[in-house]
Amino acid sequence: MDVFGSFALLLAFVCAMYAFLGGIAAIRTRNPLLIKSTRQAGLATCGLIFLATFSLEYLFFSDNFASAYVVAHSNRSLSSFYKVAALWSGQEGSLLFWSFLLAIYVFSVLIAYRHKNGELMPYVGVVLAGIQIFFLTLNNFVASPFKALGVPGIHGAMDLVARGDGNGLNPLLQYPEMVIHPPNLYAGYTGFSIPFAFALGALLARYPGEKWIHLTRKWTMIAWGFQTAGILLGAHWAYAVLGWGGYWAWDPVENASLLPWLTGTAFLHSVMMQEKRGMMKVWNVWLVFSTFLLCILGTFLTRSGVVSSVHAFANSNIGSWFVGFIAVILLVCLAAYFKNRDYLKSENQLDSIVSRESSFLFNNLILLVSCVAVLSGTLFPVFSEWFTGDRISVGTPFFNKVNIPIGLLLLFLTGVGPLLAWRKTSLDSLKRNFGWPLLFGLVAGVIAFPLGMHGFYSLICLILCVFVTSTILMEFYRGAKVIRARSGASFLASAVELTMRNTRRYGGYIVHMGMVLIFIGIAGTAFNRDVQKEMQIGSTMQIGPYSLLLQNFDNKVEKNYTAERMIIEVSRNNKPVMMLYPERRIFPANQASGTMVAIYSTLKQDLYVVYAGQSPDTQSPVIHVYLNPLVKCIWFGGVVVLLGTLVALLPNRRAVLVFAAVQEPAGAKSFAGTLTPAPTLREGHD
Amino acid sequence: MTKRPILFATILLAAATTLPLVVSPVAAQQQNDRARQIGGKFMCMCTCNQVLTQCNHVGCTTSTAMLKEVDQGLARGDSEDTITQAFVQEFGTKVYAEPPHSGFSLVAWSMPAVYLAIGLALVLFVISRWRKRPVHVAANSAGRSGISPELLERARAQAARETQD
Repeated sequence: MDVFGSFALLLAFVCAMYAFLGGIAAIRTRNPLLIKSTRQAGLATCGLIFLATFSLEYLFFSDNFASAYVVAHSNRSLSSFYKVAALWSGQEGSLLFWSFLLAIYVFSVLIAYRHKNGELMPYVGVVLAGIQIFFLTLNNFVASPFKALGVPGIHGAMDLVARGDGNGLNPLLQYPEMVIHPPNLYAGYTGFSIPFAFALGALLARYPGEKWIHLTRKWTMIAWGFQTAGILLGAHWAYAVLGWGGYWAWDPVENASLLPWLTGTAFLHSVMMQEKRGMMKVWNVWLVFSTFLLCILGTFLTRSGVVSSVHAFANSNIGSWFVGFIAVILLVCLAAYFKNRDYLKSENQLDSIVSRESSFLFNNLILLVSCVAVLSGTLFPVFSEWFTGDRISVGTPFFNKVNIPIGLLLLFLTGVGPLLAWRKTSLDSLKRNFGWPLLFGLVAGVIAFPLGMHGFYSLICLILCVFVTSTILMEFYRGAKVIRARSGASFLASAVELTMRNTRRYGGYIVHMGMVLIFIGIAGTAFNRDVQKEMQIGSTMQIGPYSLLLQNFDNKVEKNYTAERMIIEVSRNNKPVMMLYPERRIFPANQASGTMVAIYSTLKQDLYVVYAGQSPDTQSPVIHVYLNPLVKCIWFGGVVVLLGTLVALLPNRRAVLVFAAVQEPAGAKSFAGTLTPAPTLREGHD
Repeated sequence: MTKRPILFATILLAAATTLPLVVSPVAAQQQNDRARQIGGKFMCMCTCNQVLTQCNHVGCTTSTAMLKEVDQGLARGDSEDTITQAFVQEFGTKVYAEPPHSGFSLVAWSMPAVYLAIGLALVLFVISRWRKRPVHVAANSAGRSGISPELLERARAQAARETQD
């Protein structure tokens, strides 16, 4: 099966080369047969990548320990669930997985537009084939996952061998979220290839901006949704597994995932300027280019070892390939831009600074500043080493200090932007839209201050969260009120109807609401508390309203690991509320150990209990307990963001006019069989 | 007359001996908080790339030793600067959790403000240009690219619908 997979990858490379070179020839000659054959070569590339990926999974499931990759990342006792995840747990497999996800997108695009956009699609196909060629080069010639296990033979040649069992999967990855977090994140990274291909293709083909923007909007939202889910799942994994009580440590790999998310978010906003007013065409094209470049840069950071990270793959020389690819993309983008920049001229002018257009500009500015600040902070250790010879670390405190004010500015714009009118916003409109929300925000601040919320940023965050929530709720209220007055439906049904009539706008509001919840959760960090204590059986420790009693500890033997488990009773006001079992797991296959945190989560706060190991002096178990307020808001906010994204992806439901019978007033003369045609609003779908 | 100084001395002595019983838990707590505050300014040097007080390695000997060093320094009455210098001498500048506010590290601190200033200037420049500019007739690329004006108009209408106020 390893030979089969290897051969499939090689054939995929050949097909991708044909799709690329044949595609260029097809664009030049406009030969319909050549266009068709290159499209089919693109489809064949995807099919062959699917086969290669499935054959690697087959090697895992059949415990084929003649394969070097399977030996390095699996063992016989690994559950089937994690054998799926083992595919992307190493450098070679994760690159194949990248090709696999990219192939799904490419396949979908080639099928979805096979009879549409005939002028643009050959260009898109060429760009996508170019990206596939790069990853297939890595899969075939640089980091093949199908290498057989070998040992140096007596004549200097390698002898093929097979092992009885493998080294097992990294314990940190043996957690359910690790089965879904990387696919989501990679689906985000690879998904941004589609808007990139359309943007570059449209620029090369001088295709109308509105059209390519319209075609790629949903693809961008899908990629953005996956990226958001991937980031949040990663944060939850870090929270539940790593055991340091937090969810975001500004690690270079975390930052790498945030960078394209920030530019992607900026694009999803600024794209409306082009759709609505024909403005910001250059900006949008470069935002899409930058987003894709940042995806590749993030992959480079994760895989090259240029910055140190707990999440990074082993150091390798693969980084130079990514640098080369980034340079090629940049050159192609610059060349395409300078050749066809006249096609990107804006069509409208700005009427007023207080307008939706300006708010988008400022929103983009803040998102881009945040992106560049995170990028320069991530790379600063490398720069400092180049310039001074000393490597200066840039950790959490720096990123928090820089990004908290930026985040708050963004939160402010989240409330302000959607309520400003296009072209110009009058003073009356400002008062009408912002008067009450501003008052609600200030009242919340006045109430919260005496209750103990004295931190400047926490207080501002609360005020802004209430302000933004009020603006969003008022938008729903106003719209639903009109529908309710017309249809007589309940308020909730009217709000749902309102949302379904303009899914993009109200889906966007739901996303904003989710972001508010995430900000509330982050603001809770200012009130985190923790206690660490050596404990004996029967001893207790106190944190906030909770009392923790160490009842006992035992050893648990599972198929793939053994665990030292603490049995802790949690009480509140002397009433037992929960039993918690924090663990320390030992994986015999690779002698690695890891923590398994126990969390008692309520809407208000999380009681987060870590068994930190035995004290080296007394051999007593050391328990570290954190009390983290409002963490649940972050996960719930993430769900709301994804829900909003799904709503925004739905087509609009249109209100249609239909003729319906009108009830004759009592006493009026009626004519049997005669209906008065009167337009009544009834709902219908597209 | 002689009894009064003795009584005074006894009270003073009693106060001096019992005061630590009252004050020392508070002082210990303060020292603990101070140690955590100072520990939060360093990276753990066990290669976990995390802040010293957040190192999550099970039984990490590096973070335990480093935190002990902070505790001992505070118990000796060392200032934060002295403790910091000792760490920098031992591990180099990579021990800082955030770049120090001096020398080349100032670049890291000033860059976000510089980005914001440049971005703001750019946005204001763009706004002023957009306000002065006459309406540009749509680049008639539709015909050249094979997209019919009807199709273009339909795309525009759909975009307008989806972004309506």
